[in-house]
Amino acid sequence: MSNNPFPLSSEDLMRAYRTMRTIRDFEERLHVEFAKGDIPGFVHLYAGEEACATGIMMHLTDIDRIASTHRGHGHCIAKGVDVHEMMAEIYGKATGSCRGKGGSMHIADLSKGMMGANGILGAGAPLICGAALASRFRGDRGVGITFFGDGAANQGTVLESMNLAAAWNLPVIFVVENNGYAESTSVEYATAVDSYVDRASGFGMPGVTVDGMDFFAVHEAAGEMIARARDGGGPALLECNVARFFGHFEGDAQTYKAKGENDYNRENRDCLKIFRDRVCDAGAATRHDFALIDLEVASLIDAAVISAKNAALPQARELLTDVYVAY
Amino acid sequence: MPPKVGVIANPISGRDIRRVIAKANSLQIADRANIVVRLLAGLAACGVEDVVMMPERGGLAGHALRQMAQSAVRGNARFPSVSFIEMPVTGTAADSRIAAKAMSAMDVGAIIVLGGDGTHRAVAAECGATPIAGVSTGTNNAFPEIREPTITGYATGLVASGAVPKEIGLKPNKWLEVRIDGGPAEIALVDVALVSQQNLGARALWRTETFRELYVAFADPQLIGMSAIAGLIEPVGRDERHGLMLRLAPASVAPLVVQAPIAPGLVEPIGVEQWRRLPAGQPIAPDLAAGSIALDGERELTFHSRQNVSIRLVENAFDTIDVAAVMRFAATKGLLRERNKACV
Repeated sequence: MSNNPFPLSSEDLMRAYRTMRTIRDFEERLHVEFAKGDIPGFVHLYAGEEACATGIMMHLTDIDRIASTHRGHGHCIAKGVDVHEMMAEIYGKATGSCRGKGGSMHIADLSKGMMGANGILGAGAPLICGAALASRFRGDRGVGITFFGDGAANQGTVLESMNLAAAWNLPVIFVVENNGYAESTSVEYATAVDSYVDRASGFGMPGVTVDGMDFFAVHEAAGEMIARARDGGGPALLECNVARFFGHFEGDAQTYKAKGENDYNRENRDCLKIFRDRVCDAGAATRHDFALIDLEVASLIDAAVISAKNAALPQARELLTDVYVAY
Repeated sequence: MPPKVGVIANPISGRDIRRVIAKANSLQIADRANIVVRLLAGLAACGVEDVVMMPERGGLAGHALRQMAQSAVRGNARFPSVSFIEMPVTGTAADSRIAAKAMSAMDVGAIIVLGGDGTHRAVAAECGATPIAGVSTGTNNAFPEIREPTITGYATGLVASGAVPKEIGLKPNKWLEVRIDGGPAEIALVDVALVSQQNLGARALWRTETFRELYVAFADPQLIGMSAIAGLIEPVGRDERHGLMLRLAPASVAPLVVQAPIAPGLVEPIGVEQWRRLPAGQPIAPDLAAGSIALDGERELTFHSRQNVSIRLVENAFDTIDVAAVMRFAATKGLLRERNKACV
């Protein structure tokens, strides 16, 4: 892999692909497993949007915090949360990252800087302002990233947080994952601007739109924003235009989408295909290199599902533990 | 038959990484709509009654129509009637190309373009013999001149109506054509930059250590962007028959260093190894073996060592409305004056 024209090392290129492949396989497998009825609660799948989480998280370490959404599996995996623990959590098992009491929409791992998926739309934005403020007081140069969708972007919490982050010059990156639908409501119907970037300047922060299906576009733009925030340059807004390959939730009939929309996106906008083709065409890796990662990830997901299914449920006596955090 | 004029205002422009790596501004939809209304007022003042616009879903037209309705209620403004081309809206730069092609086929007298170099490039590629008038709204703009849109509307109306002859009102423009392996030509209106990064990433150019070659159709030291580098070395007018080509290098190793404003508020030392005039019509093969090609400041194409790249300066590629010349002619000929009969 000596012929590498990309702004990442060969190892990092493979790491990026492995992360995106892990997210994709995790979600594709959940789509199958959920239909069997063994998984409690709702799941909202991130498949299609992998380049967004991965391109951003490649710039972060455990000191950096993220606040995720109801569609949080991809963020968790890209931030380094253990896949076995995630799968167990979604199955509601005691070996899960939150001991099986959180489920899909509340996966968290503070040791990795993953503050939690969140079932409340737009709720991550104020949390990440607090985390960023804490980082500044600690002087650890940590950066906070909050993800939200095009629907939550219209929530007051998000807009208030943008104001607070700008007023206090907090190291926060607001990431709008614009997949075109707030549940089933189109952006065109519910939002008065065609780009959320237009709102950033109203709060005195820069905003940038990128193709969220292009890992390299996300990676480069996020890298500049994160470095700027880390150096004290203040908050910024990144809009990633993405496509989700599944419905809002598992079981969603997706009647609001155009006929063939998912097929078109899978065929023409698949971030894994785009990444693989670009890296192979440049001679930085071979198809064989990617195939090996595909096999490795498939085994990982298989093992995670088997172990989650076989794990014990939490004990009833655990019901009231871990409810409050001691300060 | 009263003249018809096309307006292409694509709301997608002006949201790239230059807002972070430089101090580029972001013009919001309501401001863009305000520009449209101002140029429509100028068009109406010159007798244009019919304007056809590119449809979009950014709310730009909605804001503009609302502002026009509010002005109409107060009875203090006159505007042409506005219709929209029937076309699918993708929300990308492709919309500008499709609209330009359609407007050209409709035989509009001129197309007014709101946007930066990218939007103008998209329209110029498809407008054929229809002249365009540029209104700058983008960031790294070198091609469209900065001018009050009402005046651009005025001048466009005067040309479209035939009040000002084309020999006076239009001026020809150069462009640069880029081909890879003899494929279809991609164009740039101002500059083609070759950089060693072999990926498109966030598209804008700011990593100066990667700059290797620069080809410009014109170079004005008053402008920003890649062409500013050439403009500070040897200015080249839009009406001159040549361009300029420069070989660039990291500033630490180059014999000459230019402090160039490569983006708004971003002045960087740029190393220049050598430069010479670029003759029109002659294909040039760059020296860089592999990298990416930026058209008017944005990485659009990548190429590797097994591919052949050629760059050619083309004269008389498309016409633009010479607003200054039109207004001077109109003033000299008294086209915008009338006697007040009550005072005669």
